[in-house]
Amino acid sequence: MRRNWAITALLLGPAALLAALFFVYPIFGVLKLSVHDGTSYTLAPLQQLYQSRLAVVVLQRTFVLALSVTALCLLVGYPAAYFMAGLKPRTRAFVTYLILLPFWISILIRTYTWVVLLGREGLVNKALLALGLVERPIQILYTGLAVHIGMVQVLLPIVILTCLASMLDIEKDLVRAARTLGASPAKAFWKVFFPLSASGAATGGIICFILSLGFYVTPALLGGRSSAIIANLIDVQVRQTLNWGFAAVLATALFAATLVSLGLFWLATRRRPEFAGLGASR
Amino acid sequence: MKLTRRAFNLGMAATAMGAAVARPASAEAVTIVVNGSGGSLAEAIKKFFEDPFTEATGIKVRATAPVSLPKLKAMVESGNVEWDLTELTGDDVVTAEENGWLEKLDYSIIDPKGELPAIAKEPSAIVRASYSTVLAFRTDRFPEGKQPKSWADFWDVENFPGPRSLQNDPKANLEFALLADGVPLDKLYPLDVDRAFKKLDEIKEHIPVWWTNGAQHVQLLVDGEVNMTSCWNGRITPLKNENKPVDITFNGGALMLSYLGIPKGAKHPKEAMEFIRFRMDPKASAEFVKLVPYPGFVPGMMDYLDPAFAATLPTAPDNAAVQYRFDSAWWAENLAELTTRWNEWMLL
Repeated sequence: MRRNWAITALLLGPAALLAALFFVYPIFGVLKLSVHDGTSYTLAPLQQLYQSRLAVVVLQRTFVLALSVTALCLLVGYPAAYFMAGLKPRTRAFVTYLILLPFWISILIRTYTWVVLLGREGLVNKALLALGLVERPIQILYTGLAVHIGMVQVLLPIVILTCLASMLDIEKDLVRAARTLGASPAKAFWKVFFPLSASGAATGGIICFILSLGFYVTPALLGGRSSAIIANLIDVQVRQTLNWGFAAVLATALFAATLVSLGLFWLATRRRPEFAGLGASR
Repeated sequence: MKLTRRAFNLGMAATAMGAAVARPASAEAVTIVVNGSGGSLAEAIKKFFEDPFTEATGIKVRATAPVSLPKLKAMVESGNVEWDLTELTGDDVVTAEENGWLEKLDYSIIDPKGELPAIAKEPSAIVRASYSTVLAFRTDRFPEGKQPKSWADFWDVENFPGPRSLQNDPKANLEFALLADGVPLDKLYPLDVDRAFKKLDEIKEHIPVWWTNGAQHVQLLVDGEVNMTSCWNGRITPLKNENKPVDITFNGGALMLSYLGIPKGAKHPKEAMEFIRFRMDPKASAEFVKLVPYPGFVPGMMDYLDPAFAATLPTAPDNAAVQYRFDSAWWAENLAELTTRWNEWMLL
């Protein structure tokens, strides 16, 4: 037992130390800043959050955006993963490589690329004009649509890979057994394959959702006035209004909302056997 | 447990040693950190001032960006002051002086002969440049004779169609709105804020994007993303030199001052002041202004400039006459409240 403990400490120690120094400690700093103005404790920033219609609207907008981006990612990512699960291992390895390729390019550059593609004189508008589908360039850049496109592109690989991982764990014989017992291909998929792959999809979804909540660059560069989400509002408080207390409260609200989302996810899945692999109680 | 503690101690020892090594070896290799607005401006400053200064004095200069009052505040309040000198906007200076974030300037070092005009000298900041925020437009979308000439035209979406952009900042935009609404140049201050926001409501939906930095408004204009935008005059001159279809009008522009100041607790204030004096060289300043048309009040600089070129500068009498003098003091006083209102207006 003692030895085990030492090994655990050795294995997790560096990561825990890093996390404590550069994650937990600063988070406590932010938490403190939200109730302490440098000289004494205060509830003023919290009151401001409570009274600010802006904060409520932007928080709401953040969650709606995260939900719709997650839904889109699952809608596109799940079938793609299903397709990949059916490939021969070597082909699959190649396709996986293609999906990981965007990770080599910084998110900033990928976002700027969308600026070039979606602009009024960009490739998309030029193509639409040339095909006669529109008479004058349409506004895609600096709209919610552009933000969705940019975010889905960044988050899709994560969703595809988590879906794929759970699909590859599924015993193929189970689907075959369903077929031999008379189920149609669709029924075999919905009754056998889909429930077994749901945990992977849900994991991918929740990761995607939580990452979406914290997005900053994409809405800032591709979005317009009404695309700003909570991180952009925090940025405004830090850099423009110098209201760091309010920024800290906003950050804390986002942090709390994320924890609540995770908690709800855990509650919703803990009694379901197909999520056992996630570490929830059996 | 033992192992981790030993590793931890070792790690701490290594960190301490690293810190010791990283300290400057001797006083002769002084490097001052000068914070500015980056981009093409920083390149010109390096060429005309920083490199020659290092050559003349042996003092190295490291340039950083961007200009940020919050960062200055954070540095001074935490006692970890990285900058030795920083650019500041007019209202930054007012706020920074009020809060004691700047060192007093020693004008016996900077201006030993007392040649600088009084308008350039604040107790702890010195005017570096003047620039204008003006109306810029695409000449291919608005041919000769049909070009926007005023903020009223900017607001006129019938006769001057197409997407536009403004800075995501209440500063100057409120003035532009009031000018568009018919307020005369000399009757702007104190601003009628409610009237300005009401006028801004009219244009809000015609502005797909609100720019946040100088590089962005250049990109928006050059990419054809917008047909017109507010802009800093100096960013347009290089575009015109490259024959890009863009032009500006000084009419209704905001004539603004940009300053240099030394953060409180800076490590090399004396060297920073020597660098300021170096930047007051009339000949180098003239060369600089030819590239970046942001003239300061350097005495004697105009003698080195072609009169035809001097007439295109924001401070040229004809240009200055159609602009208003941006009131930094009024803005410093009202900025916090107006920024909050602006963001509510912007994001809701």
